[in-house]
Amino acid sequence: MPSADLADLTPVPAPVTKRRGRGRTIGVLVVLALAVLALLSQGLLHSLNYFDTIDQAMSARAKLGTETIRLEGVVKPHTIDRTSNGASFWMTGGHGEEVFVSAHGSPPQLFQADIPVVVEGHFTSATSKDFYGTQILVKHTASYIAAHPKRVKAPNGSTR
Amino acid sequence: MIRIALLVAGKDLRIERRSRVLLWQVLPFGVTALVLCGLALGPLHAGNSSAAPGLFYLVMLLVALLMINRAQVIEGSPGTRASVATLGLDPAGVFLGKALALAVELWLTGVVVLAGSVLFLHTALSGTLSALPSVVVTLAALAAAGTLYGALSGGGQGPATLLPMLSLPAFAPLLIAGERSFSDALHGGSLWRWWVISLVALAAYLAIGILLYGVLEES
Amino acid sequence: MIKTLSQRLLGPVTLVLLALTFWLGLWVTPPDKVQGNLARLLYVHPAIAWVALYVSFGTAAIASALYLWKRTRSVVMDRVAYCAMEVSTVFIILTLITGSIWGRPTWGVWWAWDARLTSTAILGLFELAYLALRRANDDPDLRARRCAVFAIIAAINVPIIHFSVDWWNTLHQGATVFTENGNLLVHGIMLWTLFISLFAFTLLFFWLLRARYRLEVLRATRYDVALDEALAQRRREGVH
Repeated sequence: MPSADLADLTPVPAPVTKRRGRGRTIGVLVVLALAVLALLSQGLLHSLNYFDTIDQAMSARAKLGTETIRLEGVVKPHTIDRTSNGASFWMTGGHGEEVFVSAHGSPPQLFQADIPVVVEGHFTSATSKDFYGTQILVKHTASYIAAHPKRVKAPNGSTR
Repeated sequence: MIRIALLVAGKDLRIERRSRVLLWQVLPFGVTALVLCGLALGPLHAGNSSAAPGLFYLVMLLVALLMINRAQVIEGSPGTRASVATLGLDPAGVFLGKALALAVELWLTGVVVLAGSVLFLHTALSGTLSALPSVVVTLAALAAAGTLYGALSGGGQGPATLLPMLSLPAFAPLLIAGERSFSDALHGGSLWRWWVISLVALAAYLAIGILLYGVLEES
Repeated sequence: MIKTLSQRLLGPVTLVLLALTFWLGLWVTPPDKVQGNLARLLYVHPAIAWVALYVSFGTAAIASALYLWKRTRSVVMDRVAYCAMEVSTVFIILTLITGSIWGRPTWGVWWAWDARLTSTAILGLFELAYLALRRANDDPDLRARRCAVFAIIAAINVPIIHFSVDWWNTLHQGATVFTENGNLLVHGIMLWTLFISLFAFTLLFFWLLRARYRLEVLRATRYDVALDEALAQRRREGVH
């Protein structure tokens, strides 16, 4: 049984709609800009980092404990010791901090002294500076220099 | 705008309450999906798993897809769109209302799935409770994004299969932010950082929706 | 006159520049000090990524925005957006493939979940979704509006991809050309080859875009003609 108000079919005037002004569009764009700015502030998204540098890891050493992390540093020359199932080497951070890494699994083709690497693994104990790695990734830089520099001419004509 | 939003949200929620689809179809689906996640992890890893926050959000994404499709089906019956269009409602208000209704439904389902997560995946209760603010905001952002993508996919060919394709790439950042803040809460870490990202995503999606929902609906 | 000439020359010039890139890249440039011959991917991968992210996706996003703006709304904008998005999808898939080929020998893995790679893959998914959305709607006006809105939302991803290597620690190397301090770290002929490759692949994009656009116009014309034919046939059936 329909209720009384549903049964009333007398035409009603169309509802009055307010014209949406420019104010709202501007307000919305401001909100969007603020959202982008908030995202741009670097510290906010820190945890999207693929790895921790040695300096970052050392400053948060107590908190990290033996948690699995990715650690980045530069392979110290003359310290690489390749074994049958991996490699061990010293890794240096930006401020000279050093970590001893012993890693399982064969290192990539480019692995060598003086190259930045990212090692996945964990510190062997809560306070130790020894790092046990399960995978070595080589992080090459954006510099491209000829293997035999004398053969390459700079744009100004000089060889280097 | 707010008045229309509340009106639309009330209408959508009333339809849900009367049809009981949320209660008898969506909630059981959420719990079933969670149990399946536990089975997929295997008996050794299912309990106290570090994967629990991620699985919770994965289940909520699936639930959200179901609900968005359902909201489209309600609007999809012949003549509904045309008759709604003649009402001259402010599209921004309609968008906000639909998003609010979807958010309420997601919050309700979220509570049940969280309880399931504590029960089946042994997620710590205290950590789960402290993750609640971020869960509320992330699910609201999911609702806002979902409403927008629902309008994008509705009405064409195969909207049910188109929706996941359109929305899942956009849901990815919400999944990341939600998972991280939930994990942080479980490990007693700082909550606010990821919580803020969900909040920013919510603000951004609401802004885009208010601005562009009208373009999608106009004919 | 100039327009016709440039249209005629676009294809041949693109091919010559691409051939030049390959000749310089494979035979003339020296191997890199650290990466050896692997560094030759520098003349392919950045150029493809440049086209995928900035040139073609940028074209699609701008055309979409122009479509949504009522003063510039036209079917041309919609078609340009669609065609550019399709070319961008091809290029973004090539970006991921060439990146993967470069990643395996250098990093040691085919894929890493770092910010640059992940955000690029997500943009690729957005583009596939755009093409799916395109096919799902028959009404040209509705389709154009929906696709334009979707492209605008997806465009938020591009600055994230661009700045990802500066904002976060990524396994992917930092910017090669647009470095933060403006110092180019690529030497001599290697740099010139890189620039030529960027230019060659950009021209390739415009060449492909033009061909794709023509195809789209033909398809639309064909659709109208087919409709007229079908209507005429129907009328003839009615006469008998």
